Amino acid sequence: MRTASKACLLFLALLAGAELIVRVFFARNMAGRFDYGYHPTAGFVEQADGVVRLERAGGRRFFPQQFTRERPADTFRVFVIGDSVARGKSVASSYAGQLAELLNARGVKAEAFNLSLPGFGARRKHLVLEQALRYQPSLVILHVNNSNEFEDEREWRRREEFRGWHPKNWLMKSLVIRRLYEMKTEKVYWEWLPASVRNQRAVSDADAEVQAALNVDTTREWDELVRRQTAAGVELARQRGAKLLLLTQARSEKDAAGKPRLGDHGLDAMASALRGEGVGVLSMKEVLGPLDWPPLFADSAHLRPDGHRLLAEALARELAAKGFVPAPK
Amino acid sequence: MSFTSWSYPLFLAAVVLLYWRLPLRGRMGLLLVASYGFYGVWDVRFLALLLTSTCIDYYCGRAIVGERAPARQVFTAASLPLVWLGGCAALTDKSGAVQAWILGAAAAFPLLFTALYELLWRKPEAAQRRAFLLLSILTNLVVLGFFKYFNFFAGSLLALAGQLGFAPGWTLPTIILPVAISFYTFQSIAYSVDIYRGKAQPARDLLTFAAYLSFFPQLVAGPIERPNDLLPQFTRAAEFAWEHIHRGLRLLLVGAFKKIFVADNCALLANHVFNGQAELNAPWALLGVVAFAFQIYGDFSGYTDLARGSARLLGIHLNPNFRFPYFARGPSDFWNRWHITLSAWFRDYVYIPFGGNRAGTARTLGNLWITMLLAGLWHGASWIFVLWGAFHAALLTLYRLVPPLQKLEQPADRHRVKDWLAVALMFAFTLVGWAIFRAPNLAVLGNWFAAFANGSPVAEDWLKPAFWLALHAVPLLLLQLATLRARDEVEFGHWPWAARGLVFLILFMGIASSAVSEQEFIYFQF
Repeated sequence: MRTASKACLLFLALLAGAELIVRVFFARNMAGRFDYGYHPTAGFVEQADGVVRLERAGGRRFFPQQFTRERPADTFRVFVIGDSVARGKSVASSYAGQLAELLNARGVKAEAFNLSLPGFGARRKHLVLEQALRYQPSLVILHVNNSNEFEDEREWRRREEFRGWHPKNWLMKSLVIRRLYEMKTEKVYWEWLPASVRNQRAVSDADAEVQAALNVDTTREWDELVRRQTAAGVELARQRGAKLLLLTQARSEKDAAGKPRLGDHGLDAMASALRGEGVGVLSMKEVLGPLDWPPLFADSAHLRPDGHRLLAEALARELAAKGFVPAPK
Repeated sequence: MSFTSWSYPLFLAAVVLLYWRLPLRGRMGLLLVASYGFYGVWDVRFLALLLTSTCIDYYCGRAIVGERAPARQVFTAASLPLVWLGGCAALTDKSGAVQAWILGAAAAFPLLFTALYELLWRKPEAAQRRAFLLLSILTNLVVLGFFKYFNFFAGSLLALAGQLGFAPGWTLPTIILPVAISFYTFQSIAYSVDIYRGKAQPARDLLTFAAYLSFFPQLVAGPIERPNDLLPQFTRAAEFAWEHIHRGLRLLLVGAFKKIFVADNCALLANHVFNGQAELNAPWALLGVVAFAFQIYGDFSGYTDLARGSARLLGIHLNPNFRFPYFARGPSDFWNRWHITLSAWFRDYVYIPFGGNRAGTARTLGNLWITMLLAGLWHGASWIFVLWGAFHAALLTLYRLVPPLQKLEQPADRHRVKDWLAVALMFAFTLVGWAIFRAPNLAVLGNWFAAFANGSPVAEDWLKPAFWLALHAVPLLLLQLATLRARDEVEFGHWPWAARGLVFLILFMGIASSAVSEQEFIYFQF
């Protein structure tokens, strides 16, 4: 009996060969996998024909969309960067899609892309902003919220853990295995299993999140982080000559008497302080407050399509008032 | 420590490397330390229980063949659980980690056991052997009964009393079920009974017996080994051969594939259907139970392969526990293929001692029912497992009493259609059994049955999930069909080497594509 059988040697040779091929020819396609949303370019795929494709990759789960790397000269290009609230159920029903529809109806040749990702807090939104600014946006709408910082932190920890030495990650250091895992997750797991089945496997650290959110010092830190990161985003957009509109989140709450009220959690004041040349602010609370808003909310934060529609209309008005959109042709 | 945890391959590699470099005594010492470490990862306190079983069965085993140990030696060995628990209490920072009454019981144990041991030696010689056998069996059953069934029976009695108008208002203590207790107590009982029956010789020293009883590959969920199969392998040093390594690695690969690729992925659908909240129709109910059939098979037979593979790397053979169970032609055939070592245990230590099939049909059926109800209860302290046992007892009864079914179970020469009909019918019965086994309560089980009357669509489409199930179950079936002729689920020895290499690659890729979470093995809870 030999030390290693021929079958075993073939198995190892095939595995090593596949790893080599992937490392030489497909390494670029692997970028961002297992970065938990912290990789700057993951999900943005630049094709040779000059088209940029948005796809689901690693921690980024963009709605599939595509646009040209160079913005057509006569087109008003809008990127909406936010979390699950801005993301909505689909591009068309989100305020990004509805804004494009409204602008086009008014004779402005517009394209709007929904770059919002569920659970993304200020830090990860900033990475998407950095990337989006490379594609000549006419306007970036940054949806400002302060309820995702726990998840941002958690995903950062996971990313760091994956980059560490721990043996539990050794298998996934192989690019072939990583690619295979990714393929199965993206093309089979997400496609074939309904959400109710998938959710059983979702990491549930709701208790830890609630505990953290109840700690005054922690929430103060998060608020400061959101303020700092949003200010950095404003500064970056200014440097790149892009117009920016900060859309501040409002949450459906109840006051002490049990009556429904809209809460902005200090976001309106924070965003207002950043208002300036080329930077506008739209408060969800101000847009929805005067209306019969409770039916517009699906839960305490997420809007139904009607709510997105109202936001899109308010955005279109605000952009016109600010002179951010070109005159209709 | 779980076989599918990241740490297990490192642990196993270290043990294997050291093991082959040591002489026999050193190997036993290493296996004991490794096995106690392996078990201690779950809860170090319960090692005291394992030590207690080890001590009782070792001295009873020797006493059954008339070998008397000095009282001081027995007392010292019986003090080990106390020493261990004392160490746990002193070193664990969690307050109350070892409760005072447990320490008290551990302190009383050396005195009681030594006294009883000495007392039994005073019995007439003819009664001595039987007395030591009873001592071994009863202590094992008392320990198992207390930790596994006390709350169940006490809770059931209290509920019954409540229904009859007596409400004593007692609160039952929380008793943690120690991992592996059902397996090692059964292995201990087999040891004592086989020595008593003259089928096996007792272990020659405490170290060997402790290593035998706690052998980490099969400690937690079997196979439940007989002393004659396993113990001799602990008393003579195996010679190193690459065949051990090749075969061991192959078993590990197939086992990991069954557990990680098949079972853990099928579990997603099974858990959804049996969580009691999903909206079900007939296709979903069927999907859920088929998914569970593959989950439990992949999980448990995967565990067994991992256990056998780990042992084989150490040159030790463990018995197979499964032989294509879903190809069974009837319930008797099924129990000869499913959890074989447990079925054989119940056959040899319960069914046959009760009279087996030697005393007429009525007595045979009675023995079958007793055996199957106990087998059901062995799986868990819950009426739902008793119901599952009753279901299989009813099936066995049906196949014995209805001639066409009896004929169907017999292998048919050149009657492939009949064979497949028999297999399909038994698989359908097996699925009903699995629904009973998996349902957390009777309400969920009722909903599952009721779903078959609902043909209308529900919120979640079932077709794509069916593809998911097929993706994870069909490769296992193909593997089974390909190895059916060899009658061993991991035997590819006769295949061309290139085909074997490709199969290894496919299995490995299957594992790698699913290796995201560490899910416990189902049988760990038993």
